[in-house]
Amino acid sequence: MWFPDWPLRRPDAPPDEPCQVVDQGGRVAAADPRAREAGVRPGMLRRQAEAVCPAVVTLPSDPGAEAAAFEPVVSAVEEVVPRVEVAHPGLLFVPLKGAVRYYGGEGEVVGRIAAAVEDAAGPGGRIGVADGPFAARMAAADPPRIVADTPAFLAALDVAAAGVDEIVDTFRWLGIRTLGDLRALPRAAVASRFGTAGLQAHRVASGEDRRPRPREIPVDPAVEERFDPPITGMEQAAFAARALARRLMERLAPHGDLPHRVEVEAGSGRGPVRRRTWRSADPFTEAELADRIRWQLRAWVETGGIPGGLARLRVAPADLSDRGRQLRLTEDAASALEERRALSRAQALLGPDAVLQARRRGGRTPAEQVGWHRWDEPPGPPDPAVTAPWPGRLPLPSPVLVPPRPPALEVEWDGGFPVRVRVGSRWEEVLSWAGPWRAIDHWWEGRPPVDRYQIVTSAGAFLCEVVEGRCLLTGIYD
Amino acid sequence: MADIGAALTGAGPSPPSAAARPGWVTGLVGPAGSGLTRLGLVMLGGHPGTVAVVDVRGWISPLAAWESGLDPERLVVVRCPDPSRWAGVTAALLDGLGAVYAEMPPGVADQSLRRLAARARSRRSSLLLRPLQGGLPSGVAHLQLHGEGVSWEGAGEGHGRLGRRLLTLRAGGKGAGGAERHLEVEDDGTNAVRVVPGLAAAPSRRAAG
Repeated sequence: MWFPDWPLRRPDAPPDEPCQVVDQGGRVAAADPRAREAGVRPGMLRRQAEAVCPAVVTLPSDPGAEAAAFEPVVSAVEEVVPRVEVAHPGLLFVPLKGAVRYYGGEGEVVGRIAAAVEDAAGPGGRIGVADGPFAARMAAADPPRIVADTPAFLAALDVAAAGVDEIVDTFRWLGIRTLGDLRALPRAAVASRFGTAGLQAHRVASGEDRRPRPREIPVDPAVEERFDPPITGMEQAAFAARALARRLMERLAPHGDLPHRVEVEAGSGRGPVRRRTWRSADPFTEAELADRIRWQLRAWVETGGIPGGLARLRVAPADLSDRGRQLRLTEDAASALEERRALSRAQALLGPDAVLQARRRGGRTPAEQVGWHRWDEPPGPPDPAVTAPWPGRLPLPSPVLVPPRPPALEVEWDGGFPVRVRVGSRWEEVLSWAGPWRAIDHWWEGRPPVDRYQIVTSAGAFLCEVVEGRCLLTGIYD
Repeated sequence: MADIGAALTGAGPSPPSAAARPGWVTGLVGPAGSGLTRLGLVMLGGHPGTVAVVDVRGWISPLAAWESGLDPERLVVVRCPDPSRWAGVTAALLDGLGAVYAEMPPGVADQSLRRLAARARSRRSSLLLRPLQGGLPSGVAHLQLHGEGVSWEGAGEGHGRLGRRLLTLRAGGKGAGGAERHLEVEDDGTNAVRVVPGLAAAPSRRAAG
């Protein structure tokens, strides 16, 4: 069951203008029909999309809110068929084998699901029935499509559907136009020519996207945490989600396993136990898994599904893959784990916004040149403006201390030259200075011009800005 | 990074290596502007692996650390404006990271500092402490570097720009061989820090009578 434009179903989406939702990586996650008509396609870079459709309104993606909004749909489908699997907000997989026997036919089940979905979310949902999640997703249509012969259905699909963008052009050049053409080739030959990506494409083309559990693992890998008193705030729940995701990954890591599917189970202070399965075509990473758990908890909390607060949280992996992360030869697993633990502990003490990493950005002032992001979260795409020339950028060395809100600096001037500076309670004589360097930034927003000075005293060197007669301390060369 | 430790023990200037030795606590004492924060970040960068900076005011800019060669991937900045949590956070970081540079807010109890020093020793982590006010109690730091003065070259009367700088430091503690020594560190602002040759123990003061 698939809503292709689920991220666009939000109150701030403009009804009369072309609109797109862009994910954290700066790529289009969804585009409405008007934007698609103009050439915007999911997966495009935001800039490309804005180039082909300049009038498009861009909204940032908010997967947590999307998951919360999707929860009524999931609950409605669960009323018809239990144990559904959420791939991402908008895409739901429903195992039909048992339900078909119970209701007496695929058509009957699909009709009930379609009615339940329409009641919960209105029209727009596409439903497809086929063997395996990939074929079902490809078959999803409105009205619902039931595929009788899955191999034949897959064979007719264009080879681009395999999702390996990097080798699709080569496939076409070799005359492989459909998934059927690809499947007809020997798997060993495809693997030796195209490596892992080719093998993956061949598996998908053969309808083997649901990878079987490769081997039994000797321990029960599920992780569980109990909370007394029960958690009621989302912030705490997010921490719990992250901690459990980390524990699960640590437990699986020695076996080289990663989960494709996880079952999130939440027990409330008073009320029923809630369970939901999330799946992913690629194995979950720790951050992705923590996100899924957090989204699910938010969805339950916002729909009143956990009355009395969260008393117990359990995460159990379902399908496991052996595609675990291999450490480099020189990498020390124990020390990497200790580093993570130490930083997680600091994060638990101070909050997620206090433990930061930074990446270089384009800009003129020291503050502009640093882009902060939370430790353990992806930093987003690199800023292409880093390598731009930035005329007027402050020369090296950069000041080490940069106050976020520059305090006033008392400077005594004589004929436009700085003579003395107040440092703490003392006045220090200016030994030398460089500047003024005039910067006229954002004049179109009415920002006044700024004169920058480097001032050297016997107590140290300072960077200051004079704006409309006021002198501010913007950096200390400590 | 020039090895200040080697310079202090008489081995003289040496090729770049870490001054922040495993298990050592190094105190960087002096007012803002005395040049010790950049020195501390450079010493931090000498450690392989992930390193952390505890930033009390939210003022530390990672640009200076990057300019001295520290890879952005390896640097984590922990902002801790609450003095009551400072010791706990620093201790947690010492448990897992090989080197930590921590600004120290005023009013941290001596006992907390001694516990941190013991932790750094037992975990073989380097701790660089930069008190925002005053100094460190005796016995905490293996090596104390006091900023005695800083002179900058490059800027004139409105022309030029800041370039090289010369830090004059007074070193004390066990790491300086038990005697007070003076040390000059030259820094071209972007790359390496070099310990300037010609070190001498501070002249002993004797009463003349």
